[in-house]
Amino acid sequence: MTAPSPLIPRRLVAGFVAGFAILAVLPVGVELSPYAHNLLTSSFIMIAGVLAWNWMGGFVGQVSFGHASLFGVGAFVSARLMLSVHLPVPACWLAGAVCAGVFALAAHPMLRLRGPYFSIATIGFGEISRQVLTYWERFTGGASGLSLPIDAVLKYQLYWWALGFAVLVALASVAIRRSSLGLKLLAIKADADAAADVGISTTFYQDVIFMLSGTVVGLSGGLWASYFGFIEPSDMLGFDRSIAFVLMAVVGGIGTSLGPVLGAVVFVLVRTYLLASYPELYLGLYGLLLICIILFEPLGLTGLGLRVVAAVQRARRRRSREVV
Amino acid sequence: MTRFVDMLVAAVLLAGLYATMAYGLGLIYGVLRVVNLAHGGVIMVGAYLGWVLHERLGIDPYLAIPIVALASFGLGVAMYALLVQRLPRGAAGGPASLLLLFGVWLVLRNIAYLLFTGNDQAIRTAYSTQSRMILGTHVAVSRLVVLGIALAIAVTLQLVLRRTQLGRAIRAVAQNADSCTLVGIDVRRIYMLTFGIGTALAGVAGVLFATIFPFNPASGASELLKSFVVVVLGGLGSITGVAVAALIVALAEVFSIFVLPAYLTTTVGFLLLVVVLVLRPGGLFGQRVLS
Repeated sequence: MTAPSPLIPRRLVAGFVAGFAILAVLPVGVELSPYAHNLLTSSFIMIAGVLAWNWMGGFVGQVSFGHASLFGVGAFVSARLMLSVHLPVPACWLAGAVCAGVFALAAHPMLRLRGPYFSIATIGFGEISRQVLTYWERFTGGASGLSLPIDAVLKYQLYWWALGFAVLVALASVAIRRSSLGLKLLAIKADADAAADVGISTTFYQDVIFMLSGTVVGLSGGLWASYFGFIEPSDMLGFDRSIAFVLMAVVGGIGTSLGPVLGAVVFVLVRTYLLASYPELYLGLYGLLLICIILFEPLGLTGLGLRVVAAVQRARRRRSREVV
Repeated sequence: MTRFVDMLVAAVLLAGLYATMAYGLGLIYGVLRVVNLAHGGVIMVGAYLGWVLHERLGIDPYLAIPIVALASFGLGVAMYALLVQRLPRGAAGGPASLLLLFGVWLVLRNIAYLLFTGNDQAIRTAYSTQSRMILGTHVAVSRLVVLGIALAIAVTLQLVLRRTQLGRAIRAVAQNADSCTLVGIDVRRIYMLTFGIGTALAGVAGVLFATIFPFNPASGASELLKSFVVVVLGGLGSITGVAVAALIVALAEVFSIFVLPAYLTTTVGFLLLVVVLVLRPGGLFGQRVLS
């Protein structure tokens, strides 16, 4: 393995594997309350979504403020198929994901923009999608939304669908990071012009990764819609949801292959806690968190963890030297 | 035909507000290369400041403009000194500065929710409902005043940037910050003042906005995006360019009612944003925005 990956030590990988194994058997062994079941399932869906966001925002460095549109397209296409065509549910999810992936290609002309211009353009892209889908009542139900025919059994089983999906996306993240594709993306991030000079088609690879990212985010939108059973455009495609992807990635560690997982878990837990306990301070606390992370720890929780590990190692080394 | 004139007048009146909203964003970006994502938040804060001064102290919103400008200037200087300045070198303009200022916006929004709840507010004065006949159409007095103030701001800004020592220093820093240190310009001070002036303009735009439209703590998102369209369309460094761009955006919005359902007229602004960014990232009047 020649690709450098300083951010995922082997022990951490073992930890993740063990964690997923425990989570997979958890509902069988322990009677989970619906509340805990909810939290875990939505965490899994968000993990998949934010990891896919990170492929574009972290690996390529093109921070998208419009991923909610892909999430929403995946959700509404799969919901519409369930309601009108009565396909098997997993087929609906897949169709939604494919549509979101194709929809992501609509962003192709925006890919020549870099940095803040790309971000601002994605805000516009997201808002256009939200307004058009809200207006398109026959497809999305307009402002009153859609209710999905989901039975309790499937809702219960969605725990494993979501978990499996999250694991697959996490593996894909590591695989992309370690592949030559990952290196090309890194080169584009560091200097798009220089990357083009050595023969990397910046537009082509960004298209590929944006489409993959859109597909995965669309699929997570479909799962989310099925799990919660009710969707409406202003929530699914809202600016707040786009921001949620950015926040999760930044909190976890933007650009690291698995850091966003931490961000998603913390986001779902903290959000639920804050909304229940301090609904009136929720936005501001997120704002403060964002400010602190940007100013003091650009790699988020992952960076913090690495710093702690480094400090522990330094202390251990010093102690062993003292003993000698 | 009268309907056409009505809409033309409406668009011109709207353009003044749009131009005022855009100057602050354009100035800060042109000099510091930082996209002030908190811009919409500052517009919202300006609106609430004007509202509070009017409701509690009975100050006419248009006379309150100097107070609001001063307060939001202070807010901007504080934002620069406490936050923007501390960004790691080279991070200005990157996603880090976007996210940082977005965080500021979230905090501002939350404070507004705590202080004023999420209800819609509007500044209503004795003359809010009065109108005058112009070109055969009824025009609300408040809209006329807003256009007048917008023109005054544009002229003042132009004079300050062209004729004063401060304006010359700001333009010099925008061109080449490194050379400025060689001729004795305190670049950091200019950055701070520019950020302050930019947010002051946003605050004033907020007051003007509040005298025409209702607002709440979540307001500012579409104002931010509209400002961005105008800045991109108008290019940087040209007050006239921004004014013309504001007029184009306003016209497109007002006249899109002929081809689009009313609900989707605001979409035109966003569409224009994406199209302009993609097709003419340098703006309509030269001057590349894209570095």
